[in-house]
Amino acid sequence: MIQLYDYVLSASCYKVRLMAALVGVKMDLEAVDFHPGRAHKSVEFAQLNPAGTLPVMVDGDMILTESTAMLVYLAKRAGPQWLGPDDAKSAAQVQQWLAFSGRLAASLGMARLHDMLLYKGDIDAWRAQGHAALRELEAALTERRFAGGEWLVGDTPSIADIACFPNAALSQDGGVSLDAYPSVRLWTRRIRALDRFIEMPGIHRLHELSPTPKVA
Amino acid sequence: MTPRWTATGLSQDLPKGVVMAGHWQGHDLAVWRSATGRLQAWNDRCPHRGMRLSHGFVRGETLACIYHGWVYGAEGGCKHIPAHPALTPPATITVTAFACVEQDGVIWVAPADMAGSPPAVSGVQPLRSVSLTCDLAAVLAVEPALLGQDILRGTVQIDGQGHDVCLLVQNNPAGLTLHALCGVRANKVAASHWVENLRRRAEMKVAA
Ligand code: FES
Repeated sequence: MIQLYDYVLSASCYKVRLMAALVGVKMDLEAVDFHPGRAHKSVEFAQLNPAGTLPVMVDGDMILTESTAMLVYLAKRAGPQWLGPDDAKSAAQVQQWLAFSGRLAASLGMARLHDMLLYKGDIDAWRAQGHAALRELEAALTERRFAGGEWLVGDTPSIADIACFPNAALSQDGGVSLDAYPSVRLWTRRIRALDRFIEMPGIHRLHELSPTPKVA
Repeated sequence: MTPRWTATGLSQDLPKGVVMAGHWQGHDLAVWRSATGRLQAWNDRCPHRGMRLSHGFVRGETLACIYHGWVYGAEGGCKHIPAHPALTPPATITVTAFACVEQDGVIWVAPADMAGSPPAVSGVQPLRSVSLTCDLAAVLAVEPALLGQDILRGTVQIDGQGHDVCLLVQNNPAGLTLHALCGVRANKVAASHWVENLRRRAEMKVAA
């Protein structure tokens, strides 16, 4: 069974858990004491991932430390339709968004770590870079909508959408509002309504799809 | 200040069952569309503890607050309090409603007692809404073809051709939002790039 070294509040870890759920792959989750224990920076953990980052995926003798690579692995194994269309342009666009998701993590993701886990750094710069990245995402999704498209690449959701989704959906945690990004908001709603969607703290399935809570 | 209609969004960005943040001249609003398509704009504060109702969610013909789940129905009246399910909420628990009208693919808001209709913007199609970090003066300075105050209109070059554009101005606490519409023959992707470029030029002018 695939093992995932995981931290529940990490956007990158959630990205992988979400992808696995969407393609129906079960993983063994190894909870790592990221905060406050900083176990991912320990000498023991460095044997697994010298970079000291989460998540880490282990399957047999394969070790992956980049979440976007994990999305490719899960999709290729269990849901190839999630890799996006096979033509050259689409394949390149998927890679473009996988790399772009790193920019979301380096801006919105860092702003969130600053606000939630008290990371030190230039919060104004992280937020400004986050807005710059959201503007690009908004422009791309808006242009897709002009042509009737609902996803970043192709006619169905792909690893490109899943890679970009968590940090965009959690942007408020870092003090970056999505109010100015209508296409991004509608796109996050579509992802939150997907079959087999799973939640994390701060990201919920569309509330209107859940039954009204009963109070005894 | 004379009350007037303010564009707060485009219809295309508010499908049935969705709530979004809006603004009318410094007032934060929750603008939402019910399952049957009924459009409403309310003060963006839950009467319970002040949570933003635009963070809530639409269920059928009601809007529920994300915090403790108080449910508000037509005209802003509280219909249900989950912690007291047997209680009929008193009529005093009501969110202030604004006038909210949809016309030409644009959502307009004004105080509830506003008379008349929003201004018509004909001959153009809704394009997209964008937020800017600069003020209106910077926009007008970099694009002199645009004329007006609340409604900027003019013929601009898109893809090497003259096209009519219309920008509806909304001043928010956080900055400026423009709701862009373009001539029906304009290519929307090219027009969207024009809007992006206008924003870049206006913001760079301020930064310079
Ligand atoms: S603040 Fe809205 S229900 Fe409590």
